[in-house]
Amino acid sequence: MSDTTAPKGKLKSATPWLIAPGVVWMILFLVAPIVMIIYVSFWTQSTFSIDSTLTLASWKNFFSSEAYVGALWTTIRLWLIVLFLTFIIGYPAALFVGLLVKSKTVSTVLLVLCVIPFWTSFLIRVLAWRPMLGKEGAINIILMKAGIIAQPIEVLLFSELSVVIGMTQIYVVFMVGPIAFMLGRIDRNIIEAARDLGAGFGRIFWKIILPLSMPGVVVGAIFVSVMVLGEFATSGALSGRKVNLLGNIIVTQVGSLKWAMASVVGVILTVLLGIVVAGFLRIVDLKREL
Amino acid sequence: MNQMNSIFRLEGVSRQYGDVAALDGINFEASNNEYISLLGPSGSGKTSLLRVIAGFEKPDSGRVWFEGRDITDVPAHERGIGFVFQNFALFPHLTVFENVAFGLRNGIKEVPQDEITSRVFEAIEMVGLAGLEDRGTEQISGGQKQRVALARTLVMQPRLVLLDEPLGALDANLRDRMQTELRAIREKLDVTFLHVTGSETEALAMGDTVAVLDAGKVIQSGNSSEIYDAPASPDVALFLNRFNLFDGVATGTTFRGPFGQVATPVVRKASRDVYAIRYDRVQVFNMGDAIPGPALDARYVASEYLGSSIMYFFEAADGKTVEAEHHLSFGDPQDYKVGQHYVLSWDPAQAIVFGQEGAE
Amino acid sequence: MESKILKPILAVYVGLFLLFLYGPFFVLGTLSFQQGPEGGPQFPIIEWSTYWYRHLFGMVPPSRIAPLPVGEALIRSLTLAFMTMVTATVLGVMAAQAFRKRFRGAGVVFYLIVLGMMVPGVLTGLGTSLLANNVLGIERHWWTTAFVAHVVYTFPFAFLVMLAILNRFDGSVEEASWSLGVSPIRTFRKVTFPLIFPGVLSAMLFAFTLSFDEFPRTLFASGRDQTLPLAIYGTFSVEIHPNIFAFGVMTTLFSFALLAVYGILMGLSVRRAKKQAMQEDIA
Repeated sequence: MSDTTAPKGKLKSATPWLIAPGVVWMILFLVAPIVMIIYVSFWTQSTFSIDSTLTLASWKNFFSSEAYVGALWTTIRLWLIVLFLTFIIGYPAALFVGLLVKSKTVSTVLLVLCVIPFWTSFLIRVLAWRPMLGKEGAINIILMKAGIIAQPIEVLLFSELSVVIGMTQIYVVFMVGPIAFMLGRIDRNIIEAARDLGAGFGRIFWKIILPLSMPGVVVGAIFVSVMVLGEFATSGALSGRKVNLLGNIIVTQVGSLKWAMASVVGVILTVLLGIVVAGFLRIVDLKREL
Repeated sequence: MNQMNSIFRLEGVSRQYGDVAALDGINFEASNNEYISLLGPSGSGKTSLLRVIAGFEKPDSGRVWFEGRDITDVPAHERGIGFVFQNFALFPHLTVFENVAFGLRNGIKEVPQDEITSRVFEAIEMVGLAGLEDRGTEQISGGQKQRVALARTLVMQPRLVLLDEPLGALDANLRDRMQTELRAIREKLDVTFLHVTGSETEALAMGDTVAVLDAGKVIQSGNSSEIYDAPASPDVALFLNRFNLFDGVATGTTFRGPFGQVATPVVRKASRDVYAIRYDRVQVFNMGDAIPGPALDARYVASEYLGSSIMYFFEAADGKTVEAEHHLSFGDPQDYKVGQHYVLSWDPAQAIVFGQEGAE
Repeated sequence: MESKILKPILAVYVGLFLLFLYGPFFVLGTLSFQQGPEGGPQFPIIEWSTYWYRHLFGMVPPSRIAPLPVGEALIRSLTLAFMTMVTATVLGVMAAQAFRKRFRGAGVVFYLIVLGMMVPGVLTGLGTSLLANNVLGIERHWWTTAFVAHVVYTFPFAFLVMLAILNRFDGSVEEASWSLGVSPIRTFRKVTFPLIFPGVLSAMLFAFTLSFDEFPRTLFASGRDQTLPLAIYGTFSVEIHPNIFAFGVMTTLFSFALLAVYGILMGLSVRRAKKQAMQEDIA
């Protein structure tokens, strides 16, 4: 199949007709909107309307406002924390599912178990953390009944912590999947050979397993980053409006018809994403690895 | 070749994959109602050639003619040329009957239902699969799959059928039987078979005409005995796997090789000096026998029965294997001692000599 | 040596990990059976009841808690998911089919398509509504602007699924069909499509569920009529009640029903072949 290159001759090719609808769709409804965000970020905003006179006002507004710049830092901080946690929590699980479980069936069952929660609405899964983490929530009740604490921990809900917990739980699977996939492709003989040479598990892990699973880590990190950076629902539902991410700002700005400011934040988010994804792709050459 | 009798013709057909020329200006003409074998080693471009004729691929340059019509720009489904794949390429979601009926049902020309039924049964009968019509494609053996592939193609009554190593996926026993059957089936119908193979035995056994392909070029074509008796180049001789080939120096009338200097009546023009002697022309003598012609000292290594003949393997002083074939119809096989030296000789008139300064 | 200790430790860890994933799920399921209408969305369970399920379907006397506006929102979401599924799958199959041949610009086109699933919904949503609102001056609706944004999001998934399927597809059956005089279009219908159908089903499943649950794009692009996720989002800012949990359980069951339909359809196509095989063996 793959050895047939496109014929150079005059035989009519269906390729343009097959590819055109998708490409046109993506240009009209993906590229054009993103270009629009950049363009509108330079428009002039008055109280309830906007016109296309170009100005830097909204940009100046963004960088001179502590709240907005603060949201940028909060976004970056939360992203780093969640990225770190999904990696730390997800990697051991992936190690077990992808490498240590010998039976293919068990490994598949475990992966399916990880995916099943996704069949519940994303928003309801977020919401379900409220009765878990609240002052009278499940965790506090269990801890108090066990006698570990005397007073309910209030910081669990409507804080940055609850947002971090919620996001980690929702996105950790996107880290586990790619890593488990890469670990599953490691040739077991290499590990056996290293063991025969007297290498301990720690050494094998650092020298063989971790480097070979790096492409999976990078893909997982890209997934998690893209989703966390664009988040606003989890922070909205679990922080009690205390945590404002770039996404939350966009939502509130659009809600008050401040399209120009929403666009500025959109451009900043796009640039941030671009830097993050490009950075990850520099670590590992995915085209070669996958 | 008679123009009226030609079924297809290739004119300077070239096809490039990246930097590699799979087909390099091929000129070839095939006459109607014939069995043509196309022999070539892997990478010689033989599959590309079939794919270009079938219309699966476009040549970069050159024209393809079929039944007097230039079909270079005609898409595959409008060519009316059958194709039998090495991997059979049966439709896995259809039964044997529906596989065979597929072209009749879905072709451009509407065929009435009862005609489809009768033609399909006839085709299945012809390839000897009667009774298996309702089987799925996974419930039949490799040989049966090949027959379905053949029936599916022949039911469309094409004038030309291209077979891409059709016996390659079958085991040796089945291969021999299918060789005979393929020839028999073709002879019943007015159709040309172009059969691509990497096996010289298959090519020589099956083809009325044999064409030898190397590095994207047809280097010789003719009937099998022509090719067998008079390979046009050292490469053809090599592919036929019937000749001992010796390097040496050819002058106008002699050839100097490991067997000494020998007079050569004819030297054919070639890119290098090569002396070729067919396996079955080589005779084995004991050391010290009086030998008139060329004499090659060689150590006996092993023998192998090939049905009607036996093949003796010798090793010459330079480490090269030299083979001598003895037809059992000419007498009982000799017992040679492994490791012992013998002298190999032959009638120089039967050798084929290629030289850079040769004639033609 | 170490792995003998490591494996059981990690097995326990994976158990805890799954508990972490499913914890909120259990809480949600439990609290959906809270007593109503006084019982709140927290522990302890005052009394087990199915009040909130009945509340969901409007089968209880009116109380101060307004029923979730699920009826119309559900129909909108289903319609939108169906439209998205059909469009995304058709686009995905076509694009993946084109990618079987190498063509100039394939790399750019590939990234352009995959970009649709990588760009956060909040950006596509914002951009689409900017385009509609400020340039074209058209009103946003769930069946126009939200629909195109949904397809931008789901088309890449369908495309990647089909690409994986077609990569493993042996093209010689298509060539066989052409050589029998069957046109490429009819070949696609009669040979290619039946053989890649399981992949198409998977692509459809992906597109449907992703669209059905899609929220950030819809929030910006859907205008005034709410889809289901928007109706749920609306409850975020106000006090929540166990009815939302009951609803969560219902949507999960619906998802599983969908999965079951997918499984049955998949099974049927396999079974048909097997059944035929068995009858043959008996005969």
